[in-house]
Amino acid sequence: MKLLKILPLVFAAVVAVGGLAWAEFRFPMPEFESGYEYPEMHTPFPGRTNDLWDVVLLAAALGLAAWFVLKRRSRPAVLGLTICSLAYFGFWREGCVCPVGSIQNVTEGILGLEVVPVAVLCFFLLPLIFALFFGRVFCAAVCPLGALQEVVAVRPVVLPRAVDRVLGLVPYLYLGLTILAVATGSGYLICQYDPFVGFFRLGASLNMFLAGGVLLVTGLFIGRPYCRFLCPYGVLLGWMSRFSKWHASITPRECIQCRLCEDACPYGAINVPTPDKAPLTAKEGARKLGVMLALAPLIVALGGLTGLLSHTMLARIHPTVQLAQRIAGEEAGLYEGMTIESEAFRAGAQTREELYAEAHAVRADFKWKSALFGAFLGLVVAVMLAGLSMAGRRDDYETDRQACVSCTRCFPYCPVEKDDVAVAEQKT
Amino acid sequence: MQNKRPEFVPDQAKWRIASAVAAVAGLFTLVLASLLIINYLQIRAADPLDHPELLKLREQLAASSENDEALVEQIRTLDLLVRKAFFTSQAQLRVGGRLLLAGAVVFLVAFRLAARWNPKAPSPGGAPDRLGYWRVLAQSRELITGVAIVLVLVTLTAAYMTPLGIPAPGVADESTEGTAETDTVPGGAAARVPTWEDMLSQWPSFRGPGGYGVAHFTTAPVKWDLQAGEGIRWNVEAPQGSFNSPVVWGSRLFLSGATEALREIYCYDTETGALLWRQALPAFAGTPETPPKVSEDTGYAAPTMAVHGDRAFAIYATADIACFDFEGRLVWGRNLGVPENHYGHASSLIAFGDKVYVQLDDSKQPRLLALDAATGDEVWAAGRKKISWASPACAPTPFGFQLLLASELDVDGYDPETGTLLWTQEGLDGEVAPSPTISGDVVFVGNEYAMATAVRLSGSNEAVHSEIIWQWEESLPEVASPTSSDDHFYIATSLGEIVCLDKNTGEEVWLHEFEQGFYSSPIRVGDRIYVADLKGTMQIFGTGREFELIAALDLGEPAYATPAYLDGRLYVRTEGRLMCIETDAAH
Repeated sequence: MKLLKILPLVFAAVVAVGGLAWAEFRFPMPEFESGYEYPEMHTPFPGRTNDLWDVVLLAAALGLAAWFVLKRRSRPAVLGLTICSLAYFGFWREGCVCPVGSIQNVTEGILGLEVVPVAVLCFFLLPLIFALFFGRVFCAAVCPLGALQEVVAVRPVVLPRAVDRVLGLVPYLYLGLTILAVATGSGYLICQYDPFVGFFRLGASLNMFLAGGVLLVTGLFIGRPYCRFLCPYGVLLGWMSRFSKWHASITPRECIQCRLCEDACPYGAINVPTPDKAPLTAKEGARKLGVMLALAPLIVALGGLTGLLSHTMLARIHPTVQLAQRIAGEEAGLYEGMTIESEAFRAGAQTREELYAEAHAVRADFKWKSALFGAFLGLVVAVMLAGLSMAGRRDDYETDRQACVSCTRCFPYCPVEKDDVAVAEQKT
Repeated sequence: MQNKRPEFVPDQAKWRIASAVAAVAGLFTLVLASLLIINYLQIRAADPLDHPELLKLREQLAASSENDEALVEQIRTLDLLVRKAFFTSQAQLRVGGRLLLAGAVVFLVAFRLAARWNPKAPSPGGAPDRLGYWRVLAQSRELITGVAIVLVLVTLTAAYMTPLGIPAPGVADESTEGTAETDTVPGGAAARVPTWEDMLSQWPSFRGPGGYGVAHFTTAPVKWDLQAGEGIRWNVEAPQGSFNSPVVWGSRLFLSGATEALREIYCYDTETGALLWRQALPAFAGTPETPPKVSEDTGYAAPTMAVHGDRAFAIYATADIACFDFEGRLVWGRNLGVPENHYGHASSLIAFGDKVYVQLDDSKQPRLLALDAATGDEVWAAGRKKISWASPACAPTPFGFQLLLASELDVDGYDPETGTLLWTQEGLDGEVAPSPTISGDVVFVGNEYAMATAVRLSGSNEAVHSEIIWQWEESLPEVASPTSSDDHFYIATSLGEIVCLDKNTGEEVWLHEFEQGFYSSPIRVGDRIYVADLKGTMQIFGTGREFELIAALDLGEPAYATPAYLDGRLYVRTEGRLMCIETDAAH
């Protein structure tokens, strides 16, 4: 038994490091003096499928997931669909097109930087629309990233609720950074740091493998760490799901307060009934909430100011700034040798001055955008604090609509049958 | 498929088997991963291009004077071997990776089964901790607040400790070839925007405040003796090879100079004539390695600088424009794109409000640019029909300040704030160098081989109307720009004529012929007009309806630049000297 407790850790570490097997190597091509001409580089066409077919499949998968979760209430069916989605959207389509990454395209479209392809727009909107009606069924059984984590969640434990909530700040941070990166032309952070795409494609940079490995390790014991504590798209899905028309419920009829489901959710998405008596009077509670709301503009302003003051640091996510820093460092003797990027730059026509000027222009571009990013995070904190200061009333064990990924893990724990008349009568 | 009710019944036998499989699979992946790590490190270390033996052989080959075929063959063979070794290792890495993945899958399945056959039943036990609900909410609030505070502090600390580490725009790093090291103003700190009143008490641009040839102070000296040193406060050597005129703000006087390879700014103390600093411009993005061709009498630093508050601006034939502070630190600089201009770029800069204006006359794309004086960023750009070598004026008109520009075809008025073309009148021709002047509501331009034209402005600030009220075609300026009084316009020609024309009618009031021609522009100083001739004599005459020569004073050398006229002082640049002439000063 002890062996089994230790081995997963060893295994997980090995998986993470084993990713090195596909880590990419790059080195210059051989030099020929014989006049040999390098063959022209060809980029193969994406021939495995077409994007519109993927949209159809996505819609079908979402529909099936909603049916399995809400009508059939079948965990095996949801698991089966999860594996199919992992196989198709993950390993076959190699994780692209992906609704999580589509945030970046849509941001570009909104900012007027690029036209959003129809398929990408559909991938962005369909899961959100489904979440608005049926909850996060996309996370439940369609998202390949969620599917991979669901598969490895063998011994998930429940985190303390307060820790769960604090870590829930991180996806907002990631979402804000992602939008900042797109708005400043710094690239697609979600794609660059997609932790699982390396496994889907059997090839990625070392950092991507390490990130994926660490998340899979964590995922053995802390369910869906990426979905809960990183996924920027999960933020949007959570907002939609919070107001969903229909949503997965733990019990098919009425809760009998048996508490069997209390620890069934490893994702911290079951809300317990609220106590009958609150520690504060209604007046005291209202005053506390009032203070919290009055502080909100200050928190937002503090966030904005922090972002503004950090814009130079944030500008380092931009590749031009990174290259300029590298070149400046090389010139100042801070580094030995060159990176491939700095070598390519030195072989090119651009001068250092041009590069530095470009980097400074990028930094200037970051200034107010960073302030907005900081203000957004301040707003998130303020809303969270205000939400935690409001006393809602709840009599039964219910799913947390924003956090629940509709995985149906809790369903088998509920002893109430869908057509269990006796139980209903007993309750009555 | 329906949910199967979990029974939470352990099956020890199956659990043991699954555990054993998981253990073996785990061990397998562990060993394999270790091997892969070693392989990976070997591949990283064994870059075929940096193989020590190969490098050694290459060095030998480079050192050998003869073509050593055997050595070349040895290098080829070794190169092939190390590349083969590299790719073999990489192939092994890939195969190993797939085996690792298979091992991980087996482990995962076995581990799941082991967990299934050794289930953990739910155990609600005890009464629900209802009060804990409020405690958790409070904990969450405290934790979120604490984390947010820590996040802010860590971010600010990290931001403080991570400077950009990139030289400021326009500043070459130390190793930039052909340029001198240049200090920069950290962050390009913004300066106070000078008002028109501030400008009036200085000599901020070519032909004075507003650049239309009229001095605010009326106390310029009317007598001096260069040989005896009377009236000469100081007399120092001026930068060679450029023709721009001095500009003065407070105790600082600026000139620019340039050669094919070097572009410089000189800053002098107006009290002593001491050269306080000279700074070379670095190469900016777009600065050409080979400078454009310019004529000998234009040079690479023909445009006069502009000085505005505590910032000095200079532009060169390469269209490199730079802003320095009074301590000689580069605030910003950029290249505006080398203009195609057959004599070389000669239009001077002028600053007004928070902008500095550049008449960038590229024959393919002549345009007027407004740059942010604090940052050098382009605020607006207005296209022009034709080029010229004249300079913009930014003068007060009855309808607000206007940028007045001359081209080979017309004279135009622009809104300095927006760049909107307010009015335009055709009346020029040839290669235009003289700049416009203004008197009240009448703008005046002229050029040799064309006509001198007076344009009256009317209407309102929003809709300025212009009309040509008269033209003059007798004696016309070639280089020197005209000046004005309340009633007259004054032309100085290259042939040595000074013509006084009636502002309203264009009637010739008087014409006087001097022995020497004029390149330096006449400036009205109260009721006197000063103009230095090509031989180096400052001619001073009255502005009245009769020609009255007040003085003709020696400057010692030919003078092409236009002096700066301040309170009781005159700053003159002659061919090789820079001097301050002051009432009652003794050398």
